[in-house]
Amino acid sequence: MLVCTPLALQGQETLHYAGPLQVGKYKGEAGYDYKVMGKDTLLNGPFLMERSNLEALLENEDSSFLFSGTFKDHYPTGFWRFQFGEFQSNSQTQVIDYQYRVLVSGTQEEASGTLKKGRPDGSWTYTVNRIKDSEVEQTLFKSNIVFEDGIPQRSFRIENESSTLVGRFLRNGLAHDEWSLYVTDEVEAVESWFFNDGVLERIQSSENDETKAVQMSGNTMEQRKTINLDARYIKILQLQLPASDSLNVFERGMPKLLAENAQYYKKIDNILSELGESAFLPEFKVKVAHFPLNSLETVQLDSIKAHFGKSKIISESLLNSTQLNILKLSDEEALFLYSIVSAISENFLNPIEKVVDYHEQGILEFVTRDQLIRKLWPKGKPSTKIEVGKETNGVGSRKAFALPNAERFEFGGNTMSSIEQLAQYATFSLDSVQQLLNNKLTKEQRQQELIALEEELIVQSNGLNHLIDSVSNNVTGVNEDALLQIKAIADSSLSRYSAMEEVSTKFDYARELVDCYTQLKALTKAIAVLPTQWEEIQQKYQDGVWNPFTATVMNEEVKKRITGTYRKVLVPYFLKWVQSDLSCDNADELVLLMQGTYQRMIELRDEETSKLERKLRKEQDPKMVMQLFNIQHQVKEN
Amino acid sequence: MKHHCKNPIWVLVLFLICSSFPLSAQEEEKEVLPLESKFKEPLTKVWFNTYGNIRISKRLFWVAQTHFRLQETESTPFVGQMAQIYNRHAIGYIYSKKFNVSLGGVLRLNFNTDEASVDRNLVPEWRIWHQYLFAMPLSSIMTYHRIRIEHRWSQGFEENSEYIFRNRWRYMFRLKVPLNSHKLEPKTFYVSPEAELIMQSGKEVVASPMEDLRLTTTLGYIVTPRLTFAAGLMYSQGQQLSNGGIYKQSWTLRFHMYFSPDFRKVKNKLPAIHFND
Repeated sequence: MLVCTPLALQGQETLHYAGPLQVGKYKGEAGYDYKVMGKDTLLNGPFLMERSNLEALLENEDSSFLFSGTFKDHYPTGFWRFQFGEFQSNSQTQVIDYQYRVLVSGTQEEASGTLKKGRPDGSWTYTVNRIKDSEVEQTLFKSNIVFEDGIPQRSFRIENESSTLVGRFLRNGLAHDEWSLYVTDEVEAVESWFFNDGVLERIQSSENDETKAVQMSGNTMEQRKTINLDARYIKILQLQLPASDSLNVFERGMPKLLAENAQYYKKIDNILSELGESAFLPEFKVKVAHFPLNSLETVQLDSIKAHFGKSKIISESLLNSTQLNILKLSDEEALFLYSIVSAISENFLNPIEKVVDYHEQGILEFVTRDQLIRKLWPKGKPSTKIEVGKETNGVGSRKAFALPNAERFEFGGNTMSSIEQLAQYATFSLDSVQQLLNNKLTKEQRQQELIALEEELIVQSNGLNHLIDSVSNNVTGVNEDALLQIKAIADSSLSRYSAMEEVSTKFDYARELVDCYTQLKALTKAIAVLPTQWEEIQQKYQDGVWNPFTATVMNEEVKKRITGTYRKVLVPYFLKWVQSDLSCDNADELVLLMQGTYQRMIELRDEETSKLERKLRKEQDPKMVMQLFNIQHQVKEN
Repeated sequence: MKHHCKNPIWVLVLFLICSSFPLSAQEEEKEVLPLESKFKEPLTKVWFNTYGNIRISKRLFWVAQTHFRLQETESTPFVGQMAQIYNRHAIGYIYSKKFNVSLGGVLRLNFNTDEASVDRNLVPEWRIWHQYLFAMPLSSIMTYHRIRIEHRWSQGFEENSEYIFRNRWRYMFRLKVPLNSHKLEPKTFYVSPEAELIMQSGKEVVASPMEDLRLTTTLGYIVTPRLTFAAGLMYSQGQQLSNGGIYKQSWTLRFHMYFSPDFRKVKNKLPAIHFND
């Protein structure tokens, strides 16, 4: 946690640290007192951490900060001050009273107040000011809350540049009485929330001289639970509000200011928690109706989540499949099935996704299931018969999809069980649609692939013929015969292919042929380079020898038996192979063999070969020669 | 490197200059010189020469040459009878591609070719020789300057004749011009014109310092870097030792075999080309 805290001596004495420190994303210079208890380092005493960089400021801009306060046994206690500044300068300096002054512009955040055992205690102010030329130009945000032991007390005030929120609490921190939001240029409150002992009873809002009021369902028989007034609470309110109410206070106004304030408090809490023990939260409390999930519902929610996960994968893969998107343009059934998936996604999956989300956010237990379902499916739950297609004025057709066992699903009743049924039905339907589509797609795909394959086949065949024509100009005699033989094999294979009728065998053979052509091409190249390779070998098998009679260095052919064997035994063997035994099955083998042979010839030049040369004297069998040469390829008996 | 290279040449030049002084000092005539120089009828000779250069280390080689020299006689004109058998050996040192030196000995067996003579038929002749060979490429041609110095002890065929000591000073210039290739390499024919001047000195040498001037043209064929055959025709003339006014002449058919085996193990051979590494 405290990355730079040095290991200190055991004991109760207070030690001091001064040096660089990182707290969360803040890096700066710090000075603090601490003591060591057992293995723990406890902050105890004054604490100061800051950063500012004049150079950065003058050059571009600087982010400065300053945290100062006191710790007691690792708890921030007493007066604390936090400053965060984002400043630019105009790069002009003045000298006033022996000091250089630079005027800065930007924003400055400042929070100060008293803490008690890490909790706010007393009055806390959080201000955000816009600074221009080192003077406050405008207050962007300001909150003033009085705490007692971390619990907000009495009245508070939160304002930003356009509005001000005023409200009050009971001693236990519960919101009470009227909370009012004023807009700067209006005299009357534009929005008022009426609490009674933490329970929100009424919301009243006025806009353009029109006052609207919403009575929140205030059934006193309901079980209630105290929760924080935070984003979750706002969501709960949204869900509780009848669907008919179009009050849009939740996206702006009071919730927005509260969220802004909570965000600033969180910033301070992150720093303090990183340093020591603290709980720096606004802790505004409210009471809400509570409808806890029973064990059956919890199980059902798990099932809903699992089904939803599966459905989502299927629907997304189908809706985003390029193949299906193309096929649906020409194939009516594909279009129908695509529409079904789309409808399921819209009518089943989207609302169910919300259920899953609410569950994860811990909101479900504050809404009745009936309310939830009404909110999610305002037009009523979908039926097992999923209808798609347009029908206008009796023209066009509507088609419907339903699982064969649709009657086994029961969507009735606004309970968790019905949502589970919906989730199941969606999954099974998507499964079934996917199967239908897969069959279609596979067939279509094969057809498409065969066309593509044939195209490739033609390209390869042309490429091969072209290659043979171009290289045969540079080779002579036997090599040319070999090339012609390759051409003949390629041509006869293609004729055999075109004579085929069965699609599936055609498909397999086309694939083989594409491979074969690739290999025949490689073989053609291998034969075409034989003369060059021979020249390279001859060059390589030369050794500079000092001739004392001419006083010159002369090249001498060395290891003639090896080069001779290569030329008289191996190369003729390869060419004979091409002319008599070549097929698509062994072309690649021959290519590898030829490449391997050339490779070995290059290697043998520098190896000790006197033994090999002796053995070669009597050897004329190419396979034996390759064995002696140790050519790295297993020769298949043919 | 260059500095080293020059040294042996200078030493040699100095040596050549210094040792030429005694030559001019001896001007006491033994025989009466004719009024005009007299050229004898040319003799015909046939030489079969083998030249072996056997590599023994990166820079050292063993020179082993055996020459059979035949000379015409009245009974067998042209090819003639055995006149000399040479056994020339030396150890050579390859200084660089362009320069090498050799030092060794020669045992020459001289046969008496004078059919009328009643003297000994065979006498040995001993030599110590050293040679400095400079090779320079010139376009596709190779040029060679060869300086060979021999110290020879020879004797006449007469019974109990004394050994006489002479020095021989030889300079040869030779070209090798490849005919069917852009350079000298295996399977190449080459033509090789050469000129060699052999001077001599010693107590016995009074008025005949020019022992021989040889003008030769050879046609050769390089079979492999280790084997070459060549054949050529040589004209030569030189003063007779006993009388500087009389000039011998000869036409010689020469047949040569050059071989240079290398029995070193492969790993010791490499790198064969880079002498200066």
